[in-house]
Amino acid sequence: MSLLSFHLQRLLPRGRVLDSPAQLAGYASDALGYKSYRPDAVVIPADAEELVGFMKGARQLGVPVILRGAGTSLSGGPVAAQGGVIVHTSGLKGIREINVEGFWCEVECGVGLNDLDAALKPHGVFYPPDPSSGPVCTLGGNVASNAGGAHCFRYGVTSNYVLGVEVVLLDGSVHRFGGPAGGRGPWREDWKRFMIGSEGTLGAFTRFWLRLLPLPEKVWTFRATYPDLRSIEAAIHALVAHSSYPAAIELLDPRGVAMVESSQMAVGLPKGSFMLLMEIDGPAALVDARVEPVAELLRKAGSRDVVFSDEDAIRQKLWKARKAAGGLLGQLSPDYVVQDAVIPKRALAEVLQLVYDEADAAGIRAVNIFHAGDGNLHPNFLFDSRVPGELEKVELISERLMRRVIEVGGTLSGEHGIGNDKAAYMPLVFGPDSMRLQWAVPAAFNPTHQLNPLKVFGNRCFTA
Amino acid sequence: MKTIAPMQTERLFTPFLDSVDGTLCVPASATAADIDAQAAAHRLRFPLILDATVTLHEQVAATTHAPASCRFGPYCDNILGINWRLPSGRIARVGERVVKTTTGYDWLRFLLHSGRRFGEPVDYVLRLRPDCGYHLEARFDGEIAALRNCVHRLLHSGWMHWWDAVDFIAEGASVWVRVAIHCPPGEARIFDAQLTCNASESQVRLTLQDSRPPSFDGLPDMVIKTTPDRAIGLAGELAREAVRCVALCYNGVVHVYLRAGEDIGERAHALMQPHLGELHALGGDWHSRWLSATPPTVTESQWIETLELAVHGS
Repeated sequence: MSLLSFHLQRLLPRGRVLDSPAQLAGYASDALGYKSYRPDAVVIPADAEELVGFMKGARQLGVPVILRGAGTSLSGGPVAAQGGVIVHTSGLKGIREINVEGFWCEVECGVGLNDLDAALKPHGVFYPPDPSSGPVCTLGGNVASNAGGAHCFRYGVTSNYVLGVEVVLLDGSVHRFGGPAGGRGPWREDWKRFMIGSEGTLGAFTRFWLRLLPLPEKVWTFRATYPDLRSIEAAIHALVAHSSYPAAIELLDPRGVAMVESSQMAVGLPKGSFMLLMEIDGPAALVDARVEPVAELLRKAGSRDVVFSDEDAIRQKLWKARKAAGGLLGQLSPDYVVQDAVIPKRALAEVLQLVYDEADAAGIRAVNIFHAGDGNLHPNFLFDSRVPGELEKVELISERLMRRVIEVGGTLSGEHGIGNDKAAYMPLVFGPDSMRLQWAVPAAFNPTHQLNPLKVFGNRCFTA
Repeated sequence: MKTIAPMQTERLFTPFLDSVDGTLCVPASATAADIDAQAAAHRLRFPLILDATVTLHEQVAATTHAPASCRFGPYCDNILGINWRLPSGRIARVGERVVKTTTGYDWLRFLLHSGRRFGEPVDYVLRLRPDCGYHLEARFDGEIAALRNCVHRLLHSGWMHWWDAVDFIAEGASVWVRVAIHCPPGEARIFDAQLTCNASESQVRLTLQDSRPPSFDGLPDMVIKTTPDRAIGLAGELAREAVRCVALCYNGVVHVYLRAGEDIGERAHALMQPHLGELHALGGDWHSRWLSATPPTVTESQWIETLELAVHGS
């Protein structure tokens, strides 16, 4: 037994400390996959009390501490980039209260997103953020990375729905910032704002208070295909300004369409087409009246292939290509990097063309599947990290893409977080004063950077 | 990967209107009229207006929510970026011009309602919404129990997403519910029918009127953030000592309007004392534009000191 394991077993009951190579292998990477960092140990607190107990003793361990939910991050967030102990929060999975009259719920950080949805549904309410990892991901990971999803265009991201967080800091102190009412509580400042999207660099979450909305009564899903980038861009521009306030506006590019159509998940999309998927929802009386105007808008932008339905079974079929595409990426290539930049939508065609040009020139396959309504790009670069030079090519394309994204007024990440994957690009975003503000936040809550070092800012190193 | 050199200057926002994204950068001193003058030409609007005559900065300093927050969320979800003058006089960019970001720590939401404690806004980047062309305002009158029932029906259905505002208003002995609607003219009859149905089921009287421009409440003297299910009760109670209370029902926000006078801050403070325990237990808060912020706790003083070093440029 290592000295570290010996100390960990004094902080947590037997069986909650993993340290064999086989046990640690499963924690070496997140969904980004190609970067591996084996932790020195993993601890799995059974409840908040054990988590607090661990955090009280963590400082004395003298090693980095990394919080991890389901490990579905796509940014290299919950990995032991500087070694250390991963705290797996899967034990904290209680849904403590659903308060329908007050439109809030109280949940522990290890609750699965879809588990919460299932628990809320009978009450006629829902929690809108819907990252595609919903069947697996935890709310702790969602809050840490300010997760989004397909329906953010109308409903917004996680930060729009977090009313309060309970956080354990590295000194073992437990603080509640906000609560069911979503205010500051007894504090002078609104500290929860820094906690949401902090990627495990400030404290360990134990529980959250989340805002809820009534379930929409009816949903219409539309699928349209377009022959070229300009016409689908015109459709997107028209949709975002439309009075129907679409809930989701998603795009799959011809390379994504080809990927789906050459798989067992083929749905009959025209070869070479761009696919647009969008939804409107609301009360039946209202949303039914909007169906024809929306279909007409899609046709007017240049689609000869507009399909729509309000029947669940057909709607699922319309979503099939979009949902299948994400899963197929992993089958096509040993590794892939997905970027998460957000751009002003008037630059959509230009930046997508840049992705194609750069990837083609480098001989790297690129597939675009993304949240077009938000301008939230997800170019997926497919490569093989075992082939010398391929990763470097992808990194070079990514850097050029990020530089252009910032030039057109965009930002590095919309919903995945920075992790260690995008940390190197942060100097493109922050000037000297705003960079000083950024660094002040971990300086206040985690000054030694013991929590999740090398994330968000690549030079955030922990020195024991 | 090679290291990217740090920037030597701030990437400040410059004035712009992006009609595709529906974003607008305006000085913090802009009024609703200034915003409307630019946005309306592109059939866009900024719905979170409380007072057409004061600056946006004054509105944001006075409250976190406006009536249209029912549909669009608080100011902090509708202000995407700011140019922020630090106490050192230097200006930093905070936030973005796009609607989604998780790049770095969220100083935008932290600073937005922090008063002048860490500096002040110079420019705001606003998220605008489509101007659908038609405003409708509904007024429901009746007994308070019936009005509560009416609010419940308005909020606990799929229609909730489409009301710009659902406000319970208490003024002296009078109470009523105000619902604001913004839609294309062609959909007005659908909303009419639903409101009529709501009124009938809740046994309250409905009055409908075209409303352009929509009515504005003005800046509240104090603002309380509680849970949605407590807002009506709190507004009713506080109205006994106030000129007017407006509960933004979905947001759980109560705007309180007090009689003018030199002691207005003291009266606001006294009015809140019986409610503080419950409010803090719920993670709620309150503030008055006539009072300075509550002193920080010992714990947060340390965090504040660290942030102050940064904003002062040390």
